[in-house]
Parts: sequence; C-alpha cells; structure tokens
Amino acid sequence: MSANTRDILRRIKSVNNTKKITKAMEMVAASKMRRAINMVLATRPYANLSWKTVLNLSQTEDGKTHPLLAKKEEEKTILLILISSNRGLCGGYNVQVVNKAIDSIKKYNGGEKTTEIMTMGGKGASLISRNGYKIVADFVKPDLASGIFEVSDLAKMAMKGFLENKYDKIMVAYTDFVSSLKQIPRVKQLLPIDLETEDEYLGIVGKNGRVGSTKKFIKEKEEKYLKRKGYSYKYIFEPNPREVLNQMLPRLIETQLYQALLEANASEHSARMLSMRNASDAAKEMIDDLTLYYNKARQAGVTSEIAEISSGAMMAKN
Amino acid sequence: MKTIKFEIVTPEKTVFKKDINQITIPTKDGEITVLPNHIPLISVLVPGEIIIKKDGESFSIAVSGGFVEVSIDKVVILADTAERAEEIDEKRAEEAKKRAEKIKTEKTVDSREFASLSAKIKKELARIKVARKRKRI
Repeated sequence: MSANTRDILRRIKSVNNTKKITKAMEMVAASKMRRAINMVLATRPYANLSWKTVLNLSQTEDGKTHPLLAKKEEEKTILLILISSNRGLCGGYNVQVVNKAIDSIKKYNGGEKTTEIMTMGGKGASLISRNGYKIVADFVKPDLASGIFEVSDLAKMAMKGFLENKYDKIMVAYTDFVSSLKQIPRVKQLLPIDLETEDEYLGIVGKNGRVGSTKKFIKEKEEKYLKRKGYSYKYIFEPNPREVLNQMLPRLIETQLYQALLEANASEHSARMLSMRNASDAAKEMIDDLTLYYNKARQAGVTSEIAEISSGAMMAKN
Repeated sequence: MKTIKFEIVTPEKTVFKKDINQITIPTKDGEITVLPNHIPLISVLVPGEIIIKKDGESFSIAVSGGFVEVSIDKVVILADTAERAEEIDEKRAEEAKKRAEKIKTEKTVDSREFASLSAKIKKELARIKVARKRKRI
C-alpha cells in the first residue's frame, strides 16, 4: 500500500469521527428542541394575553397609578437585556441577535457606548463586550428553562433600575421562534410600557400571535372591549389600583422575559440542530468523495504493480 | 341567554376557552360574580374555586392565584395554576396538603418559606374542595 492511499484512509477515519460527533449533537439538539418548542408554544397564550392587558392598562393609566406605568420624557440611558446561547456550533444564531441588538442601540441613542447590557448566555456576552459595550450583569442561562423563577432575579434588577431612574428604557433582545427552520432576532421594548413607540413590533411574540403584533390590533381591542356607545370605560381595580398593579405589573413583565427566554431556547436548539445536520451531511459527502479517491488510488496502485510484475516476468523470460 | 367570552390561561396551557353565561371568581376582596355587560375590572385572584355556568350546567375550576381582567364582553383569567375538577386526584391533593402542613408545624422555617407553604396549603384546599364537589354531583 502506498503512502498516498494510507493518507486518504486516515482522513476518511477522522472525518468519520467528526461525523459521529455532529450526528450525536444533532440528536441531542433535536430532543432538546422538541421539549423547548412544546414549552414555548404552551406559554404563548398566557404571555400574549398578559401583555395585551399591560398595553391596555398603559393606555388608560399613567405613572400616578403605578411607577412602572410612568412614561419618561427623555430616553437617555438604555438597558438592553441580551439573551443568547451558552455554547457555539449553532450557525449564525448568536451573531444575528447581537447585531440586531447593536443596531437598535444605535437607532435609539446614536450608538453611544453608555448603554448598559445585562446578558443571559455566554456567547452573546463575549460578542457584545468585544464591541465595546458595558455589561453590568451576566446571568446564567439554563439550557431548558424549568420555571419563571429562572428570570426573576434578572427581572427584579431591571425593574429596580427603572424605578430608581437609572434606566429610562429597557429593551430585551432575543430570537423569536417562528418554526424549526426559521428564527428571527428581535428587540422588544419592555419598559416604559408604551403604545406610541415607533417600533411597529410591539412585542406580542410567536406565530400564533402575529395578528396581535401591530398597534392597530391593540387599538381594535380597546374599541371592541372597552368602549360602548361612544363612552370609553376605564378599568376599575379591586381592592385598589396600587395593590393590584403592585402584584400584577412585575409578574407580567417577568412573564415577558420568561417568554423571551423560552423563545430563545427553542430557537437555539433548532438552530443548533440544523447546523449540526448540515455538518453531518457535509461529512457524509466528504467521506463519499474520499472513498472514491481512495478506490481510484488503490486501483492505480494495483495497475502499476501488475505492470511491474509483468514487465519483470518479461525480463526474466528474455 | 346572553353570553360572555371567557378564557382562562396558565403559563402551561389554555385551560378553558368558551362563551359562558356567568362566572364566579374568588378575589382578594371576596367572591365576585360576573355577568355579561360587566364594566371593565381588574382584580387579584386568590386560591379557590371558579364556578362557570353555561346553559344551565356548571363547571368548577380550582385556581391557585393570578389575575382576572374583565372587559366588556370578555373575561380573561391569568392564573398561576388552574385545574378542571375532573383532573384533580382528591387523594393526592389531600396528601399534598398534609405534607405541607406537617412541614409548616414541624420545622422552623423562614418567613419566605412560610408564605410559600401557606400558599400551597390554600391551593391544595381549593383543589380538594373542587374535587369533592364534583363527587357529590
């Protein structure tokens, strides 16, 4: 066997090993993806209904009823919550969401580096700090979220910053799960709760909620459910507005963050599964090509050996 | 008979979504009953039993807490947990309640744990009530 064929054999073996790894990762990602998708689909109705309630409230009430409903006059300091993945090997998933986040920061305050970032997921954290943004807190992102408590620390810290006027605006950047083949990075404004943002995308997440993603829809809901015979009603609160909103607003904002985390998880596992599938396919193709080369090289070796033997025999005869 | 749209969702799923005639909800200030054409209202839910009436029939749902939003023509309940009467295993609910009570009396717990245990006991009590009621019918 010549050195050439041995080299090819070695390469086939190494590609095969890589393929085994990518195949295994694909399967792990696939099972995680299924669970993540089930979770994200199950919580969507809750998240969307609660966000609609909050948006409606922001129309009829203001900062006097509850500080979280306050509208800020100036939006100087921004807090951006960035949800990304802990590990790589998931295609353009992290880069896309980070780019989207940076774009929206630039849009709101001209790209000043005063914006503070809170991150969930290590990859996004290292990407955005490389771009010169300041990370004030980094939270552990669970691979599969097991309950709303996973985001409560983050939510508390963000809301505290808003109430203490440290931040005028809080946004969350995450990847919205559309299908296992399509995920869209999005930036959504959490606080202040405001219908009049220029962003048409008001943050009702998910495919099922597409109808609710525009300003028009919220207005329609108001027309339909809060107005009768030209008179528009206000919500009454029992026992009193402050007590109800004290319980309700933090919880609903937390829900939004949790939903964003679930969307991001479903997207991440889908993205990873897809990129691992592509890698496995590429490895298979490569093995096929290499096997063909190997066979050709072996054939050439055999032919040349026969030629040598026969020419040797001829020599001996003469 | 006039109907009102009703939807109850938890973070896990949509539990019930139908047009109904009347609904009784346990809130912080006591039970309220909502009929069609109620004025918009937002209130805090406490652990207890929701009773829904539709075409003469009534259903029970055990809830553990959350919020209720009444707007004209529509009632939305955002519950932390909600179970239909037929989903509750009374025996297990009873056991869960006993366990929680035992921990509460035996161990010295901090105030946060105490609050969560009390909430759990209330929740299990509501579940037991709903499950028992169904048995009687």
